[in-house]
Amino acid sequence: METILAFARGSGIYDFMNSAWGWPTIESLHFIGLSLLLGTVGLFDLRVLGIGRGISMRAVHKLVPLGVAGFSLNVSTGLLFFVSAPDQYAYNPAFQTKMLFILCAGINMFLFYRFAQGSKVSDRGKSLAAIGAAVSLTCWTLVIICGRLITYYRPPYHWCFWC
Amino acid sequence: MEYFAWLEQTAASIWVRESSWAFFAILIVHSLAMGLVVGINIAFHLRFFGFVEKIALSRLKAFVPVIKLGFFAIVASGLLLVLGYPAKALTNPVFYLKMGLIAAGLFSTFYFVRRYMSDSDHDFIDLLQFDRLLASVSILIWCATIVGGRFLAYTHSILLASSFY
Repeated sequence: METILAFARGSGIYDFMNSAWGWPTIESLHFIGLSLLLGTVGLFDLRVLGIGRGISMRAVHKLVPLGVAGFSLNVSTGLLFFVSAPDQYAYNPAFQTKMLFILCAGINMFLFYRFAQGSKVSDRGKSLAAIGAAVSLTCWTLVIICGRLITYYRPPYHWCFWC
Repeated sequence: MEYFAWLEQTAASIWVRESSWAFFAILIVHSLAMGLVVGINIAFHLRFFGFVEKIALSRLKAFVPVIKLGFFAIVASGLLLVLGYPAKALTNPVFYLKMGLIAAGLFSTFYFVRRYMSDSDHDFIDLLQFDRLLASVSILIWCATIVGGRFLAYTHSILLASSFY
């Protein structure tokens, strides 16, 4: 923790984040990244689940790289939060849960491309794809909820369902 | 100010502020619906701008109800947030800026929906230069609504009007 904080102070990140504009500006970018992710990957998930039938799934899938861009934006901005107040995150159950759901979303994505891609061929493939889309939407929703929880209760006050 | 103070003392306003879960639940709804509505709007406007040209515009209309539903959730949760802290929001110029940006963003969305999505004739049409410009500006406007919302949490000058009485 000390090392991370020393890095943040040494690199000027800490001072920037704690300036009048720092935290809200990076939060704004974090929220824009979140919207990009939800509006592209979420839109694709909704399409797989049957909204907007008739739209080429391949075409909607072209939006996904933008979701990846949104996710990358959020990893970068998220790291800026983390290094500026590491103990507020590392010991926060909401943050730990959020990381877990991001991992779930990642595994789900891997499985989706491994098993459900090109699923128009079989009914089994279609239902696999639908499950993948539903899991993806659920995971990202939970990630956002946990994200909001992080700042709602801060250590030593915390919310936690397993402790 | 007196009116805000009165509003803050109503049972509903106190509930938003003091219930153990109300404020958090409202924030969650507001954030999720924000992500969905702004995100889909950005995706829409990217399509209007000329990105992902293979998506048939009239079919994209199927997502308009998702935007409408999400927007309804945003307004409902937003009203409750204002009810909890009326003076905090309504005495802050950033709040009115945010409302103006949302109005502009919605105007743009429904301009495109009416103009290009009502029938399949326009599915793969080349959009006018002006409309492409409007689409790119609108993406910035939708992003700016989020910036406005985030800065609302930091820029208020008054938290509770009741503190003056």
